[in-house]
Amino acid sequence: MSKRSTIVVSSSEDEDKDGSFNSKRGYSKCKSRRKNPSGAKKARISGSRPRLCRDSSVFDEMRLFCEEFGEGLTGFKVSAGSSRCGGKELWVDKYKPRSLEELAVHKKKVEEVTVWFEKRLRTSREETCNLLVITGQAGVGKSATIHAIASHLGARLCEWNMPIPTIWQEHLHNTNSGIRYTSKLDEFESFVERMRKYGIIPPSFAGESKSPVILLIDDLPVTNGNASYRRLRNCLQLLAQSTQIPTAILITDYGKADSADNIATARCLEELQLSLENAGACKIAFNPITSNSIKKTLSKICRQEQCGVTADQIDLIARSSGGDIRHAITSLQYFCLKPDPKLSLSFSEPARTYSKEKSDELNPLDDGFSLPFGRDETLSLFHALGKFLHNKRESENAIAPGQEAFLVSERLTRLPLKMDAPERVLCQAHVQARPVADFLHENVLDFMSEEAIDDASAVASYLSDSDFLLAAHRGMFATSYEAGNVLQSAAASVAARGVLFGNSHPLASRWHAIRRPKLWQVEQSSLHNKCEILGQRLVALSTSNISVIATEYIPMFKWLRYGASGGFEDYQALIQGNETELDDNDSMILDEKENEISDDEIEDW
Amino acid sequence: MLWVDKYRPKTLDNLIVHNDVAQNLKKLVTEQDCPHLLFYGPPGSGKKTLIMAILRQMFGPSADKVKVENKTWKIDAGTRTIDLELTTLSSTHHMELNPGDAGFQDRYIVQEIIKEMAKNRPIDTKGKKGFRVLVLNEVDRLSREAQHSLRRTMEKYSASCRLILCCNSSSKVTEAVRSRCLNIRINAPTEEQITKVLEFIAKKEGLQLPSGFATRIAEKSNRSLRRAILSFETCRVQQYPFTNNQAMPPMDWEEYVSEIASDIMKEQSPKRLFQVRGKLYELLINCIPPEIILKRLLLELLKKLDAELKHEVCHWAAYYEHRMRLGQKAIFHIEAFVAKFMSIYKAFLIATFG
Repeated sequence: MSKRSTIVVSSSEDEDKDGSFNSKRGYSKCKSRRKNPSGAKKARISGSRPRLCRDSSVFDEMRLFCEEFGEGLTGFKVSAGSSRCGGKELWVDKYKPRSLEELAVHKKKVEEVTVWFEKRLRTSREETCNLLVITGQAGVGKSATIHAIASHLGARLCEWNMPIPTIWQEHLHNTNSGIRYTSKLDEFESFVERMRKYGIIPPSFAGESKSPVILLIDDLPVTNGNASYRRLRNCLQLLAQSTQIPTAILITDYGKADSADNIATARCLEELQLSLENAGACKIAFNPITSNSIKKTLSKICRQEQCGVTADQIDLIARSSGGDIRHAITSLQYFCLKPDPKLSLSFSEPARTYSKEKSDELNPLDDGFSLPFGRDETLSLFHALGKFLHNKRESENAIAPGQEAFLVSERLTRLPLKMDAPERVLCQAHVQARPVADFLHENVLDFMSEEAIDDASAVASYLSDSDFLLAAHRGMFATSYEAGNVLQSAAASVAARGVLFGNSHPLASRWHAIRRPKLWQVEQSSLHNKCEILGQRLVALSTSNISVIATEYIPMFKWLRYGASGGFEDYQALIQGNETELDDNDSMILDEKENEISDDEIEDW
Repeated sequence: MLWVDKYRPKTLDNLIVHNDVAQNLKKLVTEQDCPHLLFYGPPGSGKKTLIMAILRQMFGPSADKVKVENKTWKIDAGTRTIDLELTTLSSTHHMELNPGDAGFQDRYIVQEIIKEMAKNRPIDTKGKKGFRVLVLNEVDRLSREAQHSLRRTMEKYSASCRLILCCNSSSKVTEAVRSRCLNIRINAPTEEQITKVLEFIAKKEGLQLPSGFATRIAEKSNRSLRRAILSFETCRVQQYPFTNNQAMPPMDWEEYVSEIASDIMKEQSPKRLFQVRGKLYELLINCIPPEIILKRLLLELLKKLDAELKHEVCHWAAYYEHRMRLGQKAIFHIEAFVAKFMSIYKAFLIATFG
């Protein structure tokens, strides 16, 4: 057994129908802790466990315990606390869907999954692959669906939760007490190995052994680097080939919320999914939950909790949650906790206008102040670039002339943008100014209409400004970080707004691939060529100025070489002559290879 | 061996070009202690030749014995140490390097190398303490910080070390550095001088030179002696008995630029702009400096342009050239110029021809 086995056997019968059901998460974690055979502290916690619900002094003890494990386990603390406080548990857990009807997930998807499980459970131990991959972004109810289906089918659910990360103090403690550290991936591997060899260990109580078993693997271990990634893939493929019981793997999709460093992870996950599918696994992708079904769930909760939240507010929460129902419920709870007078005031205003004009619907979200709920939307770099490049605008100026603070001449007016302020988009995309400018520069010309050279000129001049700002940033970087930061964002803003403003006749929207800036490649090869020239200039040539070599010597060599019949030999002779000339310096090392390289380079011209 | 190197004057005597400057320098070096020197002038005017000749005048033939070294300098910059690799060309008496190659870390190079040179100063045969000479090429490419630290080190180590700076434009060298040096402007040779040099070479090589041929090369050379000699040699390789109407081999990149220019004149559209960008990239990959591309492009465009527009186009070229110096990525600015030109030219075409 691994040191912290986290297979939590929670049969569906476990799920009490009354409200006092302990937070499942907290429970399972406590349990997994309890199994943990690491030293005296564990003894204390297991000792305290039976008294938990009665004795309030246990709370302190519990907290002490938690604190000993440091801040890394805040999640644990919260759930442990909630399990004790009876009625005050989190709504997310309290209103966890218990039946298929309660699920907010789209009916068809649920059906698909149910059908799959039913088929597998009926005709198990066949040639077909017993693996189901469910993907979807966080909080779309992947786990909840499986749980609900399991209870619907009367199946026993075996869950592999990712082990809790080992924190440093714990690690030290463990090493002191002689327990070797195993990585999460190791643990997962050994788990899969066990699964293949022995299947699920039958539960101790014999009565339920007949009920079918579903294995749920909730999220895969994090892999870092190619080696561990390969291990994980092999391990999963083994699992796909050999698993006897229907297994569901839940993969959280990070595709949308990517910043640059996440792209690699996302790609890995995609590859994993592909390889699993090739191994015969069935893949079902969950979409973000529609705001309507979130709304339905939220209003149901509101009814049960009897909190006075208006439909508009629910609507707002639902829409701002971005299809993440867990988040929506938590926001609702938070919102009900302490209704902010200022907030409700600001709500009432747009609420009135809703019925009147549809176009203003998104206004409260776009307002300057930040709502106490709602996920901060992140955009991928390409999404943001697409917004700038496509340059979508309203078809007419919606703002009444009276509202405009100042009038600008016809030439300079533009229709209002169909998006957030460019700065906001940039901020959401979490990108640096330099790549933004480069990408815009590379791609903007594709998005211009054929005749609009004036626009192109305007855009080019703005991009030039932006580059200038970025360069100024570099110079100042050493002296003041703050100033550099401001310049950076100013440069990004100039680039984005310049593209938006300059391109006054954007092409009708159609599909464009956004190219990677060719500039980067050009810079690299230019640098490479430069290095080669530099490498040999002092050897073969008397001058040292790179521009002179590039503009005068190299073209000349080319002529010397190809111009006449004897050109090549002449050129060789030239180099040879130089060599012999220089060879009388004993320390002079002339690399033959270097000369070859130079020849190739010139040939490439 | 290239003629450019073969017929490079080795001493300060009997030069065809800049003989007066050479004589003054010779007097300066032989009669008294030499101050720091700053040579500036357009490319191909003979700065480097003069510097080599001075070194020879100072130290005798041993200055010719140079070795190329790829040296790594370990620099302690407060919290971290920086490793910089730089190719140097040195003899016992002097060291030559291009501090601009170090990029933005050039200021460390300047400080560190001068310090090190000053530390182990040579003692000449008479037991007198001598000095070493540091030749810094392309000083105008140094960053402002580097030039400031250059100034400090110049002051501190002036007893043991002389600097010879070499650059194209003295306007990019800070006032402080300039005032500590003896500034020597090397003019571009006149066409007559170039013709004279070419005739001299022809005589030495034993070539029959038709009259007017050397003049033609000189005219095409843009008053760069190096270029004239190089193209003279190319002509020789291409076709020997020279004929008077022999075509000068053009520089390929210049042809390319004029191709770009005619592209621009033919069509003004974002699509064309994109094609032009591709061609500009091609030039940049081959290490043609962006300033030179812009300048050449302007010249080519002006050739075909109505006089009415010339003023405006020149203005924008200057504007974006300045921008390019301040900015980071040259292509942004060259392209902005091209776009601006296209816009102006198109408006002009519409106004004149409707």
